[in-house]
Amino acid sequence: MAKLTLSHIDKIYDNKVQAVYDFNMEVEDGEFIVLVGPSGCGKSTTLRMIAGLEDITNGKLILDGQDITAAPPKDRDMAMVFQNYALYGHMTVYENMAFSLTLRKEDPNLIHKKVLAAADILDLSSQLNKKPSQLSGGQRQRVAMGRSIVRNPKLFLFDEPLSNLDAKLRSSTRREILLLHKRLGATMLYVTHDQTEALTLADRIVCMSMGRVQQIGTPLELYDTPANLFVASFIGLPPMNFFTVLVSGDELISPFFTIYMSPEQKQLLSEYQGKHVTLGVRPENVEEGGVVPLVVGTNENLGMNTLVHGHFAEGNPESRITCKFKGWCDYKKGDVVKVTFNKMHFFDKETGNRIVKA
Amino acid sequence: MSDEKFRLKLEFVENSFVKVDRMRYEKNKTSSNLAILAIVFNALFFVSIYKSDVGTWYYSILIGISIVYNLLFMMIVFLISEGSKNYKINYSYIAIVVGALQFVRLFIYPRLAHGATTQSTGEVVQVMLGAQFVRCIIYLIVSGVCLIASAIIGIKKCKALEKHLKAIDGLV
Repeated sequence: MAKLTLSHIDKIYDNKVQAVYDFNMEVEDGEFIVLVGPSGCGKSTTLRMIAGLEDITNGKLILDGQDITAAPPKDRDMAMVFQNYALYGHMTVYENMAFSLTLRKEDPNLIHKKVLAAADILDLSSQLNKKPSQLSGGQRQRVAMGRSIVRNPKLFLFDEPLSNLDAKLRSSTRREILLLHKRLGATMLYVTHDQTEALTLADRIVCMSMGRVQQIGTPLELYDTPANLFVASFIGLPPMNFFTVLVSGDELISPFFTIYMSPEQKQLLSEYQGKHVTLGVRPENVEEGGVVPLVVGTNENLGMNTLVHGHFAEGNPESRITCKFKGWCDYKKGDVVKVTFNKMHFFDKETGNRIVKA
Repeated sequence: MSDEKFRLKLEFVENSFVKVDRMRYEKNKTSSNLAILAIVFNALFFVSIYKSDVGTWYYSILIGISIVYNLLFMMIVFLISEGSKNYKINYSYIAIVVGALQFVRLFIYPRLAHGATTQSTGEVVQVMLGAQFVRCIIYLIVSGVCLIASAIIGIKKCKALEKHLKAIDGLV
């Protein structure tokens, strides 16, 4: 159990490339934090700095009130699960799980009890005498987790642990990680580029881009009130649709459609009268039946939903839109569907930040 | 029985159970390593026994048998090491036989060579001098003891594990 504080953390490599800018966060005891972002955004670097595998250029890292900024990895009492499992191929599952405790010269009987308990939690009891090569990817990742569990560390760090697994196994292992967190009540930091993992696992998500934190919040906060255009486009599948609109009186005017604003929206955009703003609409917030005519391009049936890709004006890429309609639809290319936007997000055209009530 | 005594007894029983239970997943490294040690001491014996300044005394069928036996010994004991590592009791029984043969070997080459004399550069010399003889004897004895110890430990552990597995089978 641990409380972790990251205070003004920077990472600048020897070649002067800055990977992380002014990272600030407080991780509460027992929290599940997911760092999400595209490749190269600095999330793994941040995790490696926490683990002690990378030096921290500036800032402080505090674990349970103790400054561990310069502490070596072995003294941090953290366990890390890697994407490639990092298991010893010549050792059995049992030996792999017991290895770190054996190195610490713990009582063999105690090691045995801990390994059996961890194996029981991870449903690995029948695999203990097998070598990693005899296990599936999901089982190997469970062994890697078991190796962390036996140590009973203050903090669990996961670096894209599900990236090597196929879709089905990824889903089941994700559920296992969630159950594990609930069962252990441990503080966990998890890095992924997969927003589904982030949304399903996290108590709080840290969304990163280009080495900077874009937003920290609960999954619902990131989905419902994205702080800027990056978060809005990154969280949500399919991604949010964006249009440039002019705020004019009660109306939002785009070259392709005109929408009347509600009194709340009008109040929200009162300072933007006569200015352009970016309107964001999630595909699931576009509904059939309305006043805005949309020309269907392609129709993808997913069973429960149908993804309709279309446009408001032929040949104009800015008029493209993706809609997620409920149920099964059979639109043909060229069909015209009238739609309405039942929830809209507004972003400042200049800064890209979400427009919030003053 | 006092609470403390009862607690200690319970702890002892639990620890004994765990100690045996560990064998389900841990290799019998003690037996295996002792067998390897037997190979090491046998090799030391093998390289210590021959001398080149004693004329043709060693030139007999015995040298061929000795070389072949040493090669076989190393191979068999390596197999014993691997077998006993995985709690295979038969390998431990073989280890007893091979270990006992090491003691028999004391009366073949070291003793024969120690008692023999030969002509070398016109002088009568003893084939194996006292210091070399003692060294050879020690290497062979240690090698034999290692093998027998490996076998005893192996048999003990195999039987304990077998009993434990039966008990566990009864529980589940």
